[in-house]
Amino acid sequence: MGLTFFSLFSHLFGRKQMCILMVGLDAAGRMTTLYKLKLGEIVTTIPITGFNVETVEYKNICFTVWDVDGQDKIRPPWRHYFQNTQGLIFVVDSTDRERIQEGAEELQKMLQEDELRDAALLLFANKQDLPNATAIREMTGKLGLQSLRNRTWYVQATCATQGTGLQEGLHWLSNELSKR
Amino acid sequence: RGLAAARTSIGLTDRLPPAGHCYVYSLRVYSPWWAILRYRRRSRRVGPPWIWRCQNEGRSLLAGRLGGVGRVFSALRTGAEEAAVAPGASPDTQTHSYLAKNGGRKPRPQLPFNKTLQRNRKMAMGRKKFNMDPKKGIQFLVENELLQNTPEEIARFLYKGEGLNKTAIGDYLGERQFLWSFRLPGEAQKIDRMMEAFAQRYCLCNPGVFQSTDTCYVLSFAVIMLNTSLHNPNVRDKPGLERFVAMNRGINEGGDLPEELLRNLYDSIRNEPFKIPEDDGNDLTHTFFNPDREGWLLKLGAQKQNCFELYIRNNKGQLIKACKTEADGRVVEGNHMVYRISAPTQEEKDEWIKSIQVLGEGVAGGPGPSALTLGSRPFCRAAVSVDPFYEMLAARKKRISVKKKQEQP
Repeated sequence: MGLTFFSLFSHLFGRKQMCILMVGLDAAGRMTTLYKLKLGEIVTTIPITGFNVETVEYKNICFTVWDVDGQDKIRPPWRHYFQNTQGLIFVVDSTDRERIQEGAEELQKMLQEDELRDAALLLFANKQDLPNATAIREMTGKLGLQSLRNRTWYVQATCATQGTGLQEGLHWLSNELSKR
Repeated sequence: RGLAAARTSIGLTDRLPPAGHCYVYSLRVYSPWWAILRYRRRSRRVGPPWIWRCQNEGRSLLAGRLGGVGRVFSALRTGAEEAAVAPGASPDTQTHSYLAKNGGRKPRPQLPFNKTLQRNRKMAMGRKKFNMDPKKGIQFLVENELLQNTPEEIARFLYKGEGLNKTAIGDYLGERQFLWSFRLPGEAQKIDRMMEAFAQRYCLCNPGVFQSTDTCYVLSFAVIMLNTSLHNPNVRDKPGLERFVAMNRGINEGGDLPEELLRNLYDSIRNEPFKIPEDDGNDLTHTFFNPDREGWLLKLGAQKQNCFELYIRNNKGQLIKACKTEADGRVVEGNHMVYRISAPTQEEKDEWIKSIQVLGEGVAGGPGPSALTLGSRPFCRAAVSVDPFYEMLAARKKRISVKKKQEQP
């Protein structure tokens, strides 16, 4: 009985709501990542016109992950929208060496946004299962993560199609966010 | 007695051949892939009671379920369904009765096709291909001269959207370069491209509404975002009007849009989300009326030549299932081990095998075994519920029986 009450209690008060943005160039694997993050849950296909949004529960944190696009013109609407964003997931295609630079620029632009000032950065170096994938260390250098100031970041090697690395990434993010 | 009653109810004569009119389909629904095989038993006269044991309705249904997403499936179907719902689609009864008298031993002549019919068939095939893979579908239609490869013609084809899956249309448009005639894809970049295209067109057609194309574009984007947050259950934090207004601050070339416009937009979306059209091409009727191959096949027992067997190549927890519908539309499942069917001629057998193999199903050809263990298993009465095909069939059956009741007060 006590346990029931406890679980009910923690259910009501212990759960944190987190808004997470997921950004990345097209074909980086955001869609697969988003759906694999659901960790085997049945994804209900309610035909809602609009963006892909998923809620993922991990430990006591309820992540609401939005699949967004970083185009300059549409910053105004979502700038207001994601004011309380605590985390930014950036998905990079590790095999697409030509576009890593483009990805790096995109990332830098996102990080300069005022609304994302306090957001923890989780980088998914996706498609690590492929033979020509860029190594994590090289990726960190190319994206200029070392030079980031006042930012907690973490690079996680993933393979979204198999779902490897996603759990670990979420684990880091939930640890990081529960510290706050 | 049950058989006879069923026949009259679906408008078939008693002189039915022992053959089933069979079809092969490939289908992809936007949910998983399904493979379905159906077979209709036509007569009690032939052979020993065979494994399909069609008692009351005589309709049997073999559904191969290759389980899992992304697998191609094949389907064989018999003519009774068409006879019941589309009398015109049924082959000539003359041959039917001839075959019935002769025990179905004569190879069935090829049905004559006229040009329009053939064209319609190709068109339907193209639509189906489009639903499976939009690009390939368009390519097929262009190659077969059913569609001109001009933006206008393709746009007209998509706009009419007859039998086309709205999700597929949305995918196709998102790949290349709006919200009622197709389903907007959920991927951010695709939404982006579409809103940009929409804004350009809108501003061209409605000059003076917005100061610039960008204003229209950002507003459209904000509206889609609002629709997502208000109606997607995954978003718990529903924004109010103030937030929507705040979101759109400064988008009108640095200035604001009139608050009344924003309020109206907000109210309209809150009261009614963007709706996806109901006819979304997922209706399997299109698929089941457009087989890749059709013709006559005999159940083994009537003829032991030119047999082939259906099986699943890499049989890893996958089964072919046999089912039939009860008179009330309920679908019950059979419990069979082998599926052997015979074609009238060697060539036809090869054709069947070829068209089924294209779909990824295993077919073993051969002279056919001499005997089958018939009727040795009790009929399993488990109801099959989650399968779009069964549901479609059950719904159609219900419709027919309701119609019949209305006709006979």
